[in-house]
Amino acid sequence: MKTVLDPTGERQPAVRALLPRPPALHGRTVGLLDISKARGDVVLDRLAELLAADGALVRRYRKPTFARTAPVDLRHEIAEQCEVVIEALAD
Amino acid sequence: MHDIADLERRGVVGVFLASAVFAEAASMQGVALGFPAPYVLVPHPVQDRTDAELRAVAEEVYPAVVAAVTAGS
Amino acid sequence: MRLPDGLVAVVKRDCPTCVLVEPVLRRLGAAVWCQDDAGWFDGDDTDLELSYRLGIETVPTLLRVADGEERARVVGWSRPQWEELTGVAGLGEELPEHRPGCGSLSVDPSRVDALEARYGGSGLASRRVELAELEDEHEALFDRGWTDGLPVVPPTPERVLRMLRGTTRDPGEVVAVVPPDLVECTVEKVAVNAVMAGCLPEHLPVVLAALEAATAEEFALHGLLATTYFAGPVVVVNGPVAARIGMNAGVNALGQGNRANATIGRALQLVIRNVGGGRPGEVDRATMGNPGKLTFCFAEREHDSPFPPLAADRGVPGDAVTLVAGSGVQPVVDQLSRDPESLARTFAVCLRVNAHPKLPMAFDAMLVVSPEHGRVFREAGWDRRRLLAELDGLLALPGAELVRGAAGMVEGVPEALAGSTLPKFRPGGLLIAHAGGDAGLFSAIVGGWVAGETGSVPVTREVRQ
Repeated sequence: MKTVLDPTGERQPAVRALLPRPPALHGRTVGLLDISKARGDVVLDRLAELLAADGALVRRYRKPTFARTAPVDLRHEIAEQCEVVIEALAD
Repeated sequence: MHDIADLERRGVVGVFLASAVFAEAASMQGVALGFPAPYVLVPHPVQDRTDAELRAVAEEVYPAVVAAVTAGS
Repeated sequence: MRLPDGLVAVVKRDCPTCVLVEPVLRRLGAAVWCQDDAGWFDGDDTDLELSYRLGIETVPTLLRVADGEERARVVGWSRPQWEELTGVAGLGEELPEHRPGCGSLSVDPSRVDALEARYGGSGLASRRVELAELEDEHEALFDRGWTDGLPVVPPTPERVLRMLRGTTRDPGEVVAVVPPDLVECTVEKVAVNAVMAGCLPEHLPVVLAALEAATAEEFALHGLLATTYFAGPVVVVNGPVAARIGMNAGVNALGQGNRANATIGRALQLVIRNVGGGRPGEVDRATMGNPGKLTFCFAEREHDSPFPPLAADRGVPGDAVTLVAGSGVQPVVDQLSRDPESLARTFAVCLRVNAHPKLPMAFDAMLVVSPEHGRVFREAGWDRRRLLAELDGLLALPGAELVRGAAGMVEGVPEALAGSTLPKFRPGGLLIAHAGGDAGLFSAIVGGWVAGETGSVPVTREVRQ
């Protein structure tokens, strides 16, 4: 394990923080990223219905294989189009 | 998890769903990546369930998914 | 750990003297720790902790210990000394009388920083951040927001300790209060950021001086950071220190390729970013910025300059930095002027366009005169004061040319000033330095920032070792 010294004024925690979350999903664009594992799409289909019922704008994405990270173009596309992303389903 | 870490870097709030057998792996990987990517667990297994069962799973985890990507009031 | 009472020795197998004394040590029944072969004796000091803590400089070292405390020590092999220490006569009779020892691994220059960081109670006060196992160390530093967009050198405790050897100042000394967050910044924090920037230890005193100058009240760093204007701090270094640490005042002095120039300016910016919290898009609201905000630092070419050193002219002779707010480089070309009057006129017309040709007294600038242009002034006997005086005269601008609407441009000064003569630069608003390669009838204008009270005033500070 590598140790480095904090170069900052140490007023913030040094861990990588999560992004601030929106208060609710109503009116937000939510991407559903299917990792291409069998049957995951059934869960995602139902999540899409639930999100839509809550007023979210749902967009669907699918990465070619669960075995690798999503291609950079796909990640860029999601980042351009979505405020929130839900990735599923690792089994 | 790598996808979510990257998408958060790009400004997209993220969560991923994994079946319960991945619980330890997911938490370990989060520690190893130095990034606490949020995840929601669904009951294992997934692949041999009926559509109806899987839809019920989605409904069951939905509140946790929403909680992971919203600021919870 | 507590040392066992009796005889204690530290050896390394790679040392012929240690090999020579092996039978003696075994006969004495000493507790022996070996630095490079865990299996040679019972004691394993391959992590060098014991050697470090005992301050072993030479192997073999033989100690006599009582009540856990060292009572006597000899280094190398010397029969009389070993006999005296052990109280045993007739040691190593088949051995020569004396044999010098070898260097201890714990004082090997390539290991000493790591040992000090690990065992030395280094005194480093900065928070230690453990990077996760699968984290790429460079990505990890990007992810934490600690870089300027380029990779940084991971600031490990070893590297920071090594950096701190570049100064005699105490690591805990507060060098500056850094805006915008007004955080007290110690020598150690500067060293952490200097490591990240790629500095060598000998660069650290210049970084410290640059930070002191940049955080002086009149430099107005907070405003410089927050402005939508292009400017950022530019560091000009004077004195013997520049050559001693390998700075470039010659070919491509304002450009890339010299480690000291590049990393000193970068370290200052990293301190402002990381310690002060001055980040683009947050407090830094620059419309465009300029590439010099990554780093902009050069040494003045003093040896054949027509001018005294810039810092000396500003009251600080010797090793010194001068901080100016700078907005990039505007070329000045004059390949024909052979007399200083003509060349000064070229400088004047080029300086007039600084920010806008119709805006007087509004923006500062620094003129960097090249050696080939400088020679014209040197041969004519013009020093900095003389050139500045000439430029003042040439840059006394008629108000009628500057008023709003003149020359078909709305930008300009109020109509009421039409009858006045207005200087392009406020007093002290134009600095002149000398740098560059031998060839090229070019000079450079480094546009500044807004002049005077609302802006930044250049600051010169001594470089202290």
